[in-house]
Amino acid sequence: MAKKKRTLPKAAVRTGSNGRGHRAPAPPAGKATAAQRTYTILDYRLENPNFNLRQVRTGDEVRYEVQGDLSAPVPPIRESKYLSKQQCIEIYRWMLLNRKMETALENLYKQGKVIGGVYFGLGQEACSCASAYALKPDEWLGPMIRNQGSLLVRGFSARDIMMQYMAKAGSPTKGRDASSHFGDIERRNVVAPISTLGDLIPVLAGVALGARLQGRNIAVMTYIGDGGQSTGVTYEGLNFAAVQDLGLVLFVENNLWGYSTPADMQFRVKDLAERAIAYGIPGVIVDGTDACQVYDAAHEACERARRGEGPTLIEAKMMRMKGHAIHDAAEYVPKPLFEYWRKRDCIARFETFLVNVKKWLSREENLKLIEDVDRELEADRDFAVASPMPEPESAAGGVYCEAGCHEIKPKYGMPKAKMGTAGPKRTEAAVHLK
Amino acid sequence: MQLTYLEAIRQGIWEEMERDPTVFCLGEDIGIYGGAFKVTDGFIDRFGPERVIDTPIAESAIVGAAFGASLTGMRPVAEFQFMDFIGCAFNQIVNMVAKAHYRWGAPAPLVIRGPSGGNVHGGPFHSQNPEMWFVHAPGLKVVCPASAYDAKGLIKAAIRDNNPVIFFEHKYLYRRIKEEVPAEDYIVPLGKARLAREGRDLSIITYAAMVHVALEAAEILAKEGIDLEVVDLRTVSPLDREAIAQTVRKTSKVILLHEDVRTGGLAGEISAIINEEAFDSLDGPIVRITAQDSPVPFSPPQEEYFLPKASDVVREARKLKAY
Repeated sequence: MAKKKRTLPKAAVRTGSNGRGHRAPAPPAGKATAAQRTYTILDYRLENPNFNLRQVRTGDEVRYEVQGDLSAPVPPIRESKYLSKQQCIEIYRWMLLNRKMETALENLYKQGKVIGGVYFGLGQEACSCASAYALKPDEWLGPMIRNQGSLLVRGFSARDIMMQYMAKAGSPTKGRDASSHFGDIERRNVVAPISTLGDLIPVLAGVALGARLQGRNIAVMTYIGDGGQSTGVTYEGLNFAAVQDLGLVLFVENNLWGYSTPADMQFRVKDLAERAIAYGIPGVIVDGTDACQVYDAAHEACERARRGEGPTLIEAKMMRMKGHAIHDAAEYVPKPLFEYWRKRDCIARFETFLVNVKKWLSREENLKLIEDVDRELEADRDFAVASPMPEPESAAGGVYCEAGCHEIKPKYGMPKAKMGTAGPKRTEAAVHLK
Repeated sequence: MQLTYLEAIRQGIWEEMERDPTVFCLGEDIGIYGGAFKVTDGFIDRFGPERVIDTPIAESAIVGAAFGASLTGMRPVAEFQFMDFIGCAFNQIVNMVAKAHYRWGAPAPLVIRGPSGGNVHGGPFHSQNPEMWFVHAPGLKVVCPASAYDAKGLIKAAIRDNNPVIFFEHKYLYRRIKEEVPAEDYIVPLGKARLAREGRDLSIITYAAMVHVALEAAEILAKEGIDLEVVDLRTVSPLDREAIAQTVRKTSKVILLHEDVRTGGLAGEISAIINEEAFDSLDGPIVRITAQDSPVPFSPPQEEYFLPKASDVVREARKLKAY
């Protein structure tokens, strides 16, 4: 276990969030005194990149430039403390399905079959899939736009997601919303995201609150980006979960870009995991391209949640390997960054880990698995393409939950009320209006 | 039992918590302190800190958490210390909660309640009537009771409703009205207006504290032989279109009265409904009496100027009667 003890103020040169060293002035060197408190951030990574992004002017143009060392060797996959061979292979399969589904969507977009844009989680599949994999079926997840892999793990099919993107009648929202904007409160326990960032955090905290009132401590998981974490509701939601000891597992997906704005312009802390200190909860750093690290951190956070000990903030460091959405060629991203992170591709490395390092998959088995995924996807894609668009009139209705459309009942059992004997207070003297 | 408007709301929530263990309250200072206006006074002793939750001062977290809990089948009642502060949670209410059922079929049986309205010298941030922000958001129900009887019946109906309900309690009425409220369980259905006063000459359609202003004006006008009908909408979303049309068909002359500001206020919407449902019955212009288009001023003489008064109603009613 890589346990890194951080002492504040810290004498060492601060390396960046996914590597950045330019900002925080180094505090005076020296040992922590009695008046200085120490905090621990658990860091699972096997490398500690050291580079940063800044805006530079070259002639008439202002652009982003990456500074620092991009030559570090690619780290291996860290062996999981918890995952079995079978579980690793399952996660690998989800990651493949996630990526291949997005490639299929890209092609469908080019064929004019997708309505609106496509949002990619390219480079982030390990984070989506291995995190969601740590949840139990009766626990809850709230995905963000790039967490399509999480939705697959929760039991939605590639067909569901593709139909959402094509606005089909048979999509999970029956054409009413796009992309990953869907959920299921009956079976898969997924809260549909909205487009604004951070709003799922208090909602998932509330799900855990509801379950606790019904006698169950469950883990609930959601995500926020390095951009989205700037919002006020992120603070409100996580603080609420912390104060109430709710089992929230918050993945802060630091993929370096909020649309076109680099993480270096979103926050000043070195690592977003440090934010956990201010909430009074554990903070963990993982390499978001390493499925085993992601899973281990998620698993430990979920176990903590199930013990009723409260939330955990996990920062996953990686890079968004596409633009914000399909329309965005991401030309603002310095090319060397793409090269650096391409070498750290989560699927290629996990594949090497499973096939060459652990030898849990033979080459033939791997090929068969890939073929299976392709076949599944092809069938799902064909089904989605052939399925009808909604009738125009289906836009009407359903704004309200009307008599009979849903039965509201506690999901985990009727709360057992512990009540006092006091009666209602009647203390006020009335002042009449007239 | 004689209850104030505030006591009626308290009793309504209390009874629902007794009846249904999935009902719980959350909000700022609602526990040991009993709420800024003491609506939940004593709740924590009876129902415990598990079901009467003091939250951080974080309105988006309150609404978000209420919504999340409702997804697990709970029925949260979230208190806003003042409804003016609801702007802090606007995105959660309008984008997360209100759209949930339409978008992805998730019912959100939650209540967001708290004090609104002026005439208590609260100034620009403790006196507003922000109901229209939510009337304009499909998926929400918006309730504005005017009497103690209705306040109790409506809060109980709101808690039992499977949809998100924004419940505006008029703080001027909290301790100023007291009336007979039945001890037995009853609800007042959402979306149904009531006749607060029957009359034949002209109609006033209004809600919340302005119902009492209309009734006060009606007494004055009665002495002049002008017989006012007062319609109390009770629920401002969804509107009781039939009750609106009915009173216009009966009297042919109508005044729309509200404490909210004029532009984009409910009077404009009701006026359009009258056009659609009862245009042929009109025998005079539709008259609006509202607050002026400004923030709510603090100083008592200014606030009095700002708010609609019985004298405004009397003046406009005389003119309309003579039209």
